[in-house]
Order: sequence, then C-alpha cells, then structure tokens
Amino acid sequence: MPPIYIMAVITLAVSAGLWGGLVYAWSGCDRHYLWLLLLGLPLSAFVNLMVKKPLVVFVGQAANVPPSQGLATPLWFIIFLLLVPPVTEEAIKLAPLLLPLARRRINSRSGALWTGLALGVSFGLGEAMFVAYGVAQSPQYAAYPWYAFTGYFGERMMVCFCHGVMTAVVIAGLQQGKARAVAGYLAAVGLHALLNLGPVLGQLGLLSATAAGLSLVPSLVVFTLIFEWLRRRAAHGRDSQEVAAEVVYFRRSPDETPQ
Amino acid sequence: MLVFKPRRSKGWIWLVAMALVIIGISAATVLPLLTLPADEVPRGVLVLMASIALFSVPTLALAAWFPTMRYELDEHTLTLRYGPVLTYRIPLHEIQTIRRRNLSISPWSSLRFPGIALFTIPYTDVGNVKMCATAAATGILLVETRKDKYGLTPADEEGLVAALRARIGG
Repeated sequence: MPPIYIMAVITLAVSAGLWGGLVYAWSGCDRHYLWLLLLGLPLSAFVNLMVKKPLVVFVGQAANVPPSQGLATPLWFIIFLLLVPPVTEEAIKLAPLLLPLARRRINSRSGALWTGLALGVSFGLGEAMFVAYGVAQSPQYAAYPWYAFTGYFGERMMVCFCHGVMTAVVIAGLQQGKARAVAGYLAAVGLHALLNLGPVLGQLGLLSATAAGLSLVPSLVVFTLIFEWLRRRAAHGRDSQEVAAEVVYFRRSPDETPQ
Repeated sequence: MLVFKPRRSKGWIWLVAMALVIIGISAATVLPLLTLPADEVPRGVLVLMASIALFSVPTLALAAWFPTMRYELDEHTLTLRYGPVLTYRIPLHEIQTIRRRNLSISPWSSLRFPGIALFTIPYTDVGNVKMCATAAATGILLVETRKDKYGLTPADEEGLVAALRARIGG
C-alpha cells in the first residue's frame, strides 16, 4: 500500500472529527449536518477528472499552449489556470443542494451557514482522498515513510476548513435571494483564487515550495475572520430573541447602596 | 457553607483535543525530520517543537481538574473554584444584579470552548466576564458587581439563586 494512504486515513479521521465536530457543536448538536458530510465526498474526483482536466487540455490544445512551460506560459493561460478550479469547484460543491435532504435547513442564516460549511468540508475530505490517490501514482513518493507526509496532513486540514467557508459564503448568499447568490458565488471564486495563488506561483517557479505552502497561513486567517463574521451574522437574529428571554433574578434598587 | 455543582458538560474533551492538536503539530513537524541522516537534523527545530509540545501539559491539567469546578456559598461570599488555578470570591453585598442570559461570543477569546469557559473572557454584548462555567455562552448565570461580571452555570440554578437571594435580601 502506498505510504501516503496511511496519512490520508489519519487526515480524513482528524479533519472529519475536527470540522464535523465544530459543525455539530456550533449548530446546536444537529445531526442533520453530519449526514451532509457524506454528500460532497465524490465531487472532487468528478470535477477534476470530468471537468477541469478535459477543459484545460482542450483550451491548451486549441490555443496551442504546451503544458508545463513555467514562466514561458502566456499570462492569459496562467489566469485561466488560476480561475478554472475556483469557477468549477465552487459550482460543483452546490450540487448536493439538488437533494431535498441538503436543502432542508437553508431557511435561516444559521441553517445556510452550517449547511455550507458541512458541504464544503465534505468536498475538502473528498479532495484529500483524490490528492492522496494522485500522490500514490508517483513512484518517487513510494520510498518515503508515511510520517513524511505531514505537510499533506497540515495542508488538507486547512484546505478542508477553507472549502467549508467558501461554500458557506455561497449558500449564505443563496439564502438571501438570487442576486445575493450570484454575489456569494463570485466572492467564493475570488477567495478560492486567493487561496490557490501561492501554489500556482509555486508551480511557475515564482515562489519556493516552502513559501507556496506557507501562503496558506494568511489565507487561513482571512477565512477564519470571514467564518466568524458569518457566524455572528447568523447568530444575530437568534440572539435578539434570546436576549428577550433573559431572566432577571435580582436587581439591587438604585437607591440601595452597598454596605 | 453550601456547595453547588455546575451543569454537566463534556467541555473537558475540548481541552484534551487542544492538547492533542499541540502535540500533533509538534509531531507533524518533527516526524519528517526523522527521515534525514542524523547529522542533518536541525536540532533547533527539535528544541522548538519540544517547547511547543510542553504547552499541552497545562491544557491536560485543566482537563483533569474539570470535575473540581464548583460554587461555594457562605454567609458573606460566593466563591467560584476550578482546581488550584481559579478562585473568584464575590462579596454578596457587592452584587448588583443576578440574571440568566445567553452571551454573544467574540473571536478574541482566552480559554473558551463549547462546554467550558474559564478565566476572563471578552463577550461582544456584556464585555469582559470572569467565567467559571460549563458553557461558553448559553444559559449563563451572570452575577454583576460594580467592578466585575462573573459567569457561572450551576446545575441547581434555582437553588443557588434562592440561597443567594435569601442572603442578600432580594
């Protein structure tokens, strides 16, 4: 068995436990969202094999751009390569919404947030499997022990969360109406392109592999702030109802001075 | 003296998970270095990661002290305790309000996870609250004095409130 598969199993278990646990705990222990974690698993393999790869090959051949030219690649093709994953993946991540099961909770801001996060994390888990499969096909990695792939572990843990936030942005927009849905989708595409910028520059040789990997860290900070903004916005309506339900047990009268 | 236990929660699991994350990050950095020849292993990185891993010790200690959380009420003071590391004493005559409410959490937090909140934690709606509670934001019994706010989650909330009111005359 290729050694990366051991690390992939660990990554999937920890990532599903951590991000799934976060969705479960913060959504008020609603098990519905845990089922959503299964729906996006095959989508990464599907979009990579059936959409992205044929599209890039077709456009490259049509424009007569040879693959892997590094800095000699035309700028428009670099931008195209940068945008293909965000445009296709942010769309395919919404595919589970065709099922009534997945749409059930998108009737409130908090439902939209947790549905989006669960579907995005699910896509991220599937992507982790697909990436592991890709690495396992390269004989050069077969000689490494499984614990040499901790870079894969860290990267996939972060990317799972980022996928969740991006899908939450789209579905939060969708919950607000069609115009907001388009705005949410474009925002998610922009965020996704930002996330991929470091690795793309790394592939072109403009960034070292270490710098390309570290570029995920500031992105993670940005995504965490966006998640917190979405979470607070979703909680706002619920909080105002709960504050109304506040129980005052004791209030010292203003003229009563402490002894 | 009356002793009240907090509401049940599994907040300690988050503390253990946090410790495992710290250990995991250290291990994830160190393990690939073990594939290098011994003389090429950067010792500074090993020392740094070992130092980071040490942060898991206090986190695990906090998890171990989870069952010691309690609220003690005598004639003059309400005391919130958590192991040997947290003791908040609230003189009863200084209490201005006692109310139960949900708090709005802020991303800038100290020690707060679902099911546990300790030490001073900033909330967006009520400001800084000294917490000794088994919930981060939901159903917090907020005790306010002129200087400070305290958050607790007694299992027998009615019993604690009744005993408090009997002593402060509310």
